[in-house]
Amino acid sequence: METAPPTAPPAPPERPRTLDPSVVRLWRISGLIWTAVLALGALVLHLAWGDEVPFWIAGAAIVTYGVFYLAAWVPRAYRAWEFEIRETDVRLRHGVLWQRTSVVPHARIQHVDTRHGPLTRAFGLASVVLYTAGHTGAAIEIPGLPAAEAEALRERLGALSGADDAV
Amino acid sequence: MTPSDEAPATEPSPATQGRRLHPLTLLFSTVAIARRLILPAVFGGISAAGGDAGRAVLVILGVLTVPSIALAIAHYFTFRYAVTGEELVYRSGVLRRKQRVIPLSRVQNIEVRQSLAQRLTGVAELRVETAGSGSEPEAALSVLRRAEADALRHVLLARRRPVESRTVDGEDTGLSEPAPLVHLTPPELAVAGATANEAGLIAAALVGALQFADDLPLPLERYLPDVEAWFTQQSLAGTVLLVAALMVVLIVIGWVVSIVGSVVGYYDFTLARTGDDIQKRYGLLNRREASVPLRRVQSIRVEESLLRRPLDLASLKIETAGGPAQQQRGGAEAFVPIAQARRIAGLVQALFPSFALDAVELAPVHPRSPRRAFTRYALTLAIVAGGLALLDRRGLLVLALVPFAWVVARWQYRMRGYALADGHVVLRSGVLNRVTWIVPDEKIQTLHVTATPFQRRHGLASVVVDTASGGAQPTLVDVSAADAATLLERMAERARAARARVRAARRSVAQAAV
Repeated sequence: METAPPTAPPAPPERPRTLDPSVVRLWRISGLIWTAVLALGALVLHLAWGDEVPFWIAGAAIVTYGVFYLAAWVPRAYRAWEFEIRETDVRLRHGVLWQRTSVVPHARIQHVDTRHGPLTRAFGLASVVLYTAGHTGAAIEIPGLPAAEAEALRERLGALSGADDAV
Repeated sequence: MTPSDEAPATEPSPATQGRRLHPLTLLFSTVAIARRLILPAVFGGISAAGGDAGRAVLVILGVLTVPSIALAIAHYFTFRYAVTGEELVYRSGVLRRKQRVIPLSRVQNIEVRQSLAQRLTGVAELRVETAGSGSEPEAALSVLRRAEADALRHVLLARRRPVESRTVDGEDTGLSEPAPLVHLTPPELAVAGATANEAGLIAAALVGALQFADDLPLPLERYLPDVEAWFTQQSLAGTVLLVAALMVVLIVIGWVVSIVGSVVGYYDFTLARTGDDIQKRYGLLNRREASVPLRRVQSIRVEESLLRRPLDLASLKIETAGGPAQQQRGGAEAFVPIAQARRIAGLVQALFPSFALDAVELAPVHPRSPRRAFTRYALTLAIVAGGLALLDRRGLLVLALVPFAWVVARWQYRMRGYALADGHVVLRSGVLNRVTWIVPDEKIQTLHVTATPFQRRHGLASVVVDTASGGAQPTLVDVSAADAATLLERMAERARAARARVRAARRSVAQAAV
């Protein structure tokens, strides 16, 4: 792969894009499932050995954190996510407390995947994963895009990528 | 490709379809299996003295050994390798036949290894790594006749580079013997061992001690109860003294082990540049010869440890693209174990010709950085002190270390620095061990700015420069958030320009070849 001539005329400048709003519901449901499973575990432990070890404290902590996660964290995490396909690179921002801004040059993308789990599929969503030869940025995931949009994004990034496959 | 440089030894003939390994492979792989099983066998033997359980362990080990040895024999008889045109091909397997084709242009590192026994019997192991190699090399030809391993290495080196650059630079890379960049004498290596990493020193002492305890055929149990009894008779001060003395002895042992290990392990360390490759040779008992292609070098790390800084000594490591195996080896084996600090800039220049390290002025990180570090260390100390105080009120004495935390925080701040020098990003950090990273712009993969809640309180952020090498990535901690954003933008732009330059250069070379 020597050179990649510019594949298309430069696209009009894009706005930073956000995730699909329905990802909020998806994250809430998966959060709810996790909270329920862990709380159930604590309940079982409480019924079995509750006399000796105060497992109800763990249960209460799990439920409290679960409510906080569903009510406060998920919408913030959604608002914190944005990405932008620019002329030469992809730029991503995410993170509520631990914030991260990443720049992934198109030339450095080795391949692009779409990923859909069972719950994600039920919501008609998918993730796009960018793979580079790097270490910290070896796999960068953009979660919660509408399935069709994710496919289109994969095609587009795949076409833009791989101008330079030398490590 | 002229017919003259085709080494006949490595060409497949249609009759045999590739070459076999050396028959001594059988011996070495059997010994390797035996050695892997010795430790469990010893444990088994010890417990066998006790009863049936030990005997059972021995039987199980025996049962496990037979198929391993059978597999090793089958591996030898079915293994064939060949260099065909632009590929290294090998296949093996009885039931599940495996064939692997490695394009030579993908080869990263080539290494010839010889253990003492292999040197005495005139054989060697050839290891080939590609960027995708995980914990194992992509191909390990173990063992070959020494001359054959060398011939194969030269063929791989000569053919590895892409066709277009080969015709321009000539074909005999790896064959001529240039003046070495570095050659280390035993006294220099002894100094390297003596000043090796402090933590490593202590670890070496402990490992050395454990090794001794394991190796000595002493019935330790017979002595241990006595020691215990003796301990209980001693006062607290006596015990502390004894433990301190023991630590000193262990550290001295570790120190000696470190010195001897360095002299033996890196004996006759020679580093040379041939064409586009760096050649490294070393070892007294186990001899290693490795070739690293220069254009695969992702970054250079200059390390100046606490013990070495006053002596004006440093070590230099290169990071190449590769899997975790390289990462571990990079940690364990310095590229240049030791050099005078003033020679480092020259060495770096030999690897990155357009870069002058001593001309670089590093900018400091944000002055609020030490305050954040101090808060962090002081809080850690407070938590430790609180925890200890629950057990014993004297635990609060830990708080006496708080002023020291400020010193460390200031120290760390002064260590940190960065520069966007000519075509290279330079980052520096460390407390005990001062580490300077040098990353060529065109090797930058992705860039990240991260900010923890504690950093944002002070308006600070970190910049991570990601390259294709494994292990810790160059990170600049605690610049102002605004500076981090600017740095991200500037580095992304520089990396883009550098990649374009590399592509253009490659294109023009390809055109010249046509």
